[in-house]
Amino acid sequence: MFNLMANCCNWLKRWQEPGVMGDESPEDVAPTVGFSKIDLKQGRFEVTIFDLGGGKRIRNIWRNYYAESYGVIFVVDSSDIERMEETKQAMTEVLNSPKISGKPVLVLANKQDREGALSEADVIESLSLEKLVNEHKCLCQIEPCSAVMGCGKKIDKSIKKGLYWLLHIIAKDFDALNERIQRDTTEQKAYEEQKKRERAERVRRIREERYSLCNF
Amino acid sequence: MGEGLLSVIQRLRGSPGQELRIVLLGLDNAGKTTLLKRLASEEVTTITPTQGFNIKSVHSHGFKLNVWDIGGQRSVRPYWRKYLGSTDLLIYVIDSADQKRFEETGQELAELTEDESLTGVPLLVFANKQDLVTAAPAAEIAEGLSLHTYRDREWQIQACSALSGEGVQDGMNWISSQIMSRKK
Ligand SMILES: Nc1nc2c(ncn2[C@@H]2O[C@H](COP(=O)(O)OP(=O)(O)OP(=O)(O)O)[C@@H](O)[C@H]2O)c(=O)[nH]1
Ligand SMILES: Nc1nc2c(ncn2[C@@H]2O[C@H](COP(=O)(O)OP(=O)(O)OP(=O)(O)O)[C@@H](O)[C@H]2O)c(=O)[nH]1
Ligand SMILES: [Mg+2]
Ligand SMILES: [Mg+2]
Repeated sequence: MFNLMANCCNWLKRWQEPGVMGDESPEDVAPTVGFSKIDLKQGRFEVTIFDLGGGKRIRNIWRNYYAESYGVIFVVDSSDIERMEETKQAMTEVLNSPKISGKPVLVLANKQDREGALSEADVIESLSLEKLVNEHKCLCQIEPCSAVMGCGKKIDKSIKKGLYWLLHIIAKDFDALNERIQRDTTEQKAYEEQKKRERAERVRRIREERYSLCNF
Repeated sequence: MGEGLLSVIQRLRGSPGQELRIVLLGLDNAGKTTLLKRLASEEVTTITPTQGFNIKSVHSHGFKLNVWDIGGQRSVRPYWRKYLGSTDLLIYVIDSADQKRFEETGQELAELTEDESLTGVPLLVFANKQDLVTAAPAAEIAEGLSLHTYRDREWQIQACSALSGEGVQDGMNWISSQIMSRKK
């Protein structure tokens, strides 16, 4: 599947924890219906990657993470030709968001090990990727890869290459990007805080009412 | 592969002598006790509201899993925190059909997770009672609980029915992958 900021138990955990997988088969990952994050150190960069569930029913949470993201990794199942249209729509929605437009996007055309997987060029075409990223002024790179091959240092080279690209693009324009992110994040935090206070107040009132009923 | 708690243990075998603690919380009537019985593969018959708490321990392969089910009535909620020391994983159960109480349950969860002893502890939310037609879908509950504001821990929301058992095993699979990656 595809995600904002990344799928995947698979390549992320494998990168980070070679050997931990042990006898657990790579086929054996539970779908993410939630949130996890992984911290990586990559050369001079300290990176946090949010892994968000890509399933239809949880996709709505993505937008909550746009403000603080410096870039997007979109993981595409290149072998699932039937869902390319859905992928395209989901990706369009992400890039349409004012909190994402203009940020760099890495597309991982994953599952290349599968027979019948679309090539890089075909993925670009099915997603109308060029048009999409141009419209939203997102710098973009696509890497064909396989997340189930190799572990740790031996992780698929294309994935590494893609991540390097993303990190260097972010670093190149860091100050401007960072300013934008600080601004957007502060705004969102303030909004969340306000919501939180309002809820606390509403719940306090409900509790009070109930308490006074009990003592009636 | 086994069912419920035993399946978690079976995956963790090879690290004997460990003891793990899972705490099961949620408002009254959410379905905690029903879920616990389901996890322990006991037949689900009549269940009364929990006064105090239930503990289920499952032993296998030199490994011990303790699950604490603490009653959800308003009067006992202030005591929840007392039982949180050295919790490895928090399961929070929601009655997905009780929309009126989403805010209240969200507030309880928020207050609870501010506790220091729960910092970074992975959170599994069971969106229970999905067999009822009035049940809200998991994504809606995630929004209702503002789960996206929980940035310091991994979380997962699992739709389930403790009554029929549907979805329960998927939640347990997530738990074992969490424990496995923490074990190192
Ligand atoms: N053949 C093949 N299978 C893969 C590859 N990457 C992932 N898979 C499998 O695809 C399935 C889904 O992988 P996940 O890593 O769970 O995908 P995800 O994007 O995290 O999915 P959600 O958590 O639902 O968003 C699993 O069965 C993986 O083993 C790949 O490169 N090749
Ligand atoms: N329809 C339906 N009813 C459920 C489900 N799970 C639990 N219930 C019912 O909800 C009621 C409360 O369940 P309990 O397991 O006692 O709830 P609890 O969270 O332990 O409640 P306290 O002990 O009071 O905190 C019981 O009547 C259960 O039969 C479910 O998945 N579907
Ligand atoms: Mg996933
Ligand atoms: Mg109970």
